[in-house]
Order: sequence, then structure tokens, then C-alpha cells
Amino acid sequence: MIIDCDVHNSWRSSRELLGYLDPYWRDVLERGELPGGRDSFPHAHRPWLHPEGFMRTDAVPAGGGPPGSDYDLMRTQLLDRYDVEYAILGGDEGIEVSTLANPHLASALAGAANEWMVQEWLGRDPRLKGSIVVAPQDPSGAAEEIRRLGEHPDMVQVIVSSGSQRPYGDPVYWPIWEAAAEMELPVAAHLGGQGGVNANPTGTGPPSYFWEAHALLCETGMGHVASLIAQGVFEKWPRLRFVLIECGVAWLPAILWRLDADWKALRKETPWLDRLPSDVAREHIRLTTQPLEQPKDVRHLWSALEAIDGERTLLFATDYPHWDFDDPERLRIPPAWRERVLRENARELYRLPRRAAEVAAPETQRSPG
Amino acid sequence: MSATAGKESPGYYACRSDEIQPGERVIRELNGRSVGVFNVDGRFYALRNRCPHEGGALCQGPVTGTTLASTDHRFVYGMAGRILRCAWHGWEFEIASGRCLADPRLRAKTYPVVVIDGGVYVLMERSGRTQAQS
Repeated sequence: MIIDCDVHNSWRSSRELLGYLDPYWRDVLERGELPGGRDSFPHAHRPWLHPEGFMRTDAVPAGGGPPGSDYDLMRTQLLDRYDVEYAILGGDEGIEVSTLANPHLASALAGAANEWMVQEWLGRDPRLKGSIVVAPQDPSGAAEEIRRLGEHPDMVQVIVSSGSQRPYGDPVYWPIWEAAAEMELPVAAHLGGQGGVNANPTGTGPPSYFWEAHALLCETGMGHVASLIAQGVFEKWPRLRFVLIECGVAWLPAILWRLDADWKALRKETPWLDRLPSDVAREHIRLTTQPLEQPKDVRHLWSALEAIDGERTLLFATDYPHWDFDDPERLRIPPAWRERVLRENARELYRLPRRAAEVAAPETQRSPG
Repeated sequence: MSATAGKESPGYYACRSDEIQPGERVIRELNGRSVGVFNVDGRFYALRNRCPHEGGALCQGPVTGTTLASTDHRFVYGMAGRILRCAWHGWEFEIASGRCLADPRLRAKTYPVVVIDGGVYVLMERSGRTQAQS
């Protein structure tokens, strides 16, 4: 059994959100300008367009709609096939509200996306758990939404895009951290939000090609990790956990080595931080595995993962139904780590009860890779 | 539904030849394997429906062309209809040879195909017990 920490469920049309919006915002969504036709969701698109579409082409539902919009197909291709104990749903376009200039619109859409998640997905299957999407450019609205839904038994984390206007340790975002700490929910930053008001997804200015940009988007993860640690967010809210989703893994040891060295020399800049950045990271930061780096010699990857105590800090994820899906049976981690990485780390982080065996699907026929 | 088309490799019946128009494919369970049979400009090719990269649903991906090797930022589109892109991660394979365009050492499993009396047969070695775990 696995706990999959990055699964995308989609609406077929943004019109599915109309019933969850207040009248003014419903009017805006019904009659206002949309970026890609009447079914599209208000957001600024990233400047890199995937030349083959963004989805697994075998995940298109026979009855129409985008991959991830059909629960039965998700069950066949993911939940049953891989014996998923829990799937943490992050929605799909919802986190892109972070790209909008209007913070009120962004929060209204985030709230509607959350109601849609609760009403249309979470009750369907005990394996499904949800993420509360918030608009980080509206910190007080985001905090309000976290408190509104934080006690829902099937909502297990807060989610924002990794693309942002400022790194997430910045005090402007502290209302979000405060609310998440109060509701005892981890906050996840998922790859995305690279457009609109989030103008700096990479440090050099924009790369040109999709694959080039995709490989570099770990940069946003680096910035958030450094910021959260340096700003003392975890000293202020000691029970908080931060999850980086789909931002890569193997870069983290090198960044932590650098942060440790520089903090030792210049700790006086941040007197609230009284221990090594790498110690803070090990306790407070979790990373989802997909897309796990693939060096020719797997030992090179493993030594990097050991440096961040990967046995305890990694959370398995497939990214179903996106184009860079990782198969749990082929995950390249040390065999002794599998139970923790594939299940137990997520169970502890999200406080998920063990599910009874009788609801589990039969073992798949393929042997673990 | 198998016919013996060669001495050692039995032919497994996939479909009638007019069931797959040029540019199209069928996916069949043959000899315990999921196999894609493709019609490329009137010739038939068969590939195992399992990507050598990560085991993905290779034969459910789109049939396309691609850019040919070039220099100086020129984009030369070619091999139209001869490329199969895996449904999962989009790796490109030449349908006729199974060759992976990004890594010529990597090949998708291909099978010979014969057409006899309008029937398309895929030549596969009989699957033995030892193959069941692959």
C-alpha cells in the first residue's frame, strides 16, 4: 500500500465552480473575460507552453473532459492499480489563483475550489484527502479560509503555488503560517504559479523552452526553504511543517550545506535562529519524491538523499495524471526506506489512520522495482 | 486464434488488415502481452505496449512526427506518422525499429508482423513461465 502525496483532480469546466461563488464573483466568472474560452479558469498562464500538452495521454476520460476529471478512471489507473491507501488531492488549476492581480478574486476562486473539492470529491472514496488552496497574495483572506475549513476531517493540508511574489518566509505571509499552525495543518507549495504577478520563477529571467524551465523550477523551492528558515518561521511556530511538492529533491543537500556555512559566519543577522539551517530543515521540511532525479548510477542519488535524512523527510508522490508521473513500483530509493517513504512519513505528517485491509484493492501483478 | 506463420515463432492473430487504417493502431492482448499494432503508410508494425523507460503505456501515446537534427535554430519537421510518443512521459520511439530518439541504446520491444489472407499476425515467441514476471 502507498500514500500518494501529489494527485490532481480537475474540473471539466470552471463553470463547475459557479454554485460555490457569491453572486458578484459568479457574475464575473459567467460574463467576464476568461483566459482560454468559457470553460477556462481565471489565471495567468506560465510563459512556457508544454509542446505535447501537460497530461498523460492515456489518462483522457473516454467520456470527455481533462485527465483527472473522471473519478472512475482515477480509481482504475491509480487508486486500485497501485493499492493506494490514501491519495492527497491538490486540485489542478486551483493553485494558479496566486497569479491573479486581484486578491479578492483570487480568494473567492480559492474558496470555491475548496467547496468543489469537499462537495464533489472528498465524500466519494475514503482514500481521498484534500488540500485547502489559498491565495497567498491575500494573506488575511487566506488565513480566514484556513480557519474556515481547517477542521474538516478530510482536509489535511494548505496548498499554494511555488511561484510567488515574495519568498514564503517573508513576514507579509505570516497570517497564513499563523492560521496553519493554529489549525495544525502542514502548508505545501506545489510547483506552479509561474506567471502573472509572480514574475520571478527563476533568477536569471525566463528560460526559453519548456524542458529547460521545468528542470529549473526547483529554484522556487530553494528560495522558499532558505526564506522560511532564515525568517524564523519555524522558531515562531514550532509545530509547523512545510511540504515542497514537485520541486525536485536532490538539490536540497547542497543548498543546506551552503546555508549552514553562511549562517555560521553571519548568524548575527538572524539572532532568532539558534541552530543550523539543516537541523531546522530536517525537522520541519518534507519533500515529495516526484519527479525524482535519475542519475545513471543510483548510488549518487542515494547519497544525496541520505544527506537530508530522506528516510524520514521524503513523501512518495506520483503526480497522476500529469506527463511526468512516477511509478511507485519503480521508485529509486534504498529498499530499506520504502515503508517510510511510500507510506509512513505521510501518515505521520497528515495524521492519517491506518485503513482496514478489506478496502484495499488486490496486489498488482508487477513486482516491485 | 493463433496461426503458425514461421517455423519457430507462432503468429498471433491481431485483427483484419482493413481494421487499421494508415496512421491508426489497435492494442491487443496477444500471447499474454499487451501489443500495439500500427499501420504506417500501409505497412504494419507491432510494439510491446510497455515503455522501456518506466514501463508506461507506450502504445496508447500519440503517433506524431518530430524535429529532425538540425543546426542554427532551424526547425525541420519530419518523420511524420513514424514516431510513437509514450503516453506517460512522452519519450519518442520510431515505430518501425523501436529505436528511442533521445537514447539510441534504448529500444522498445518490436515484433515482426505478417499479413496472411487479410489477417494481421504478430510473430512472438511463446511466453514461458519464466517470462511471467517481467
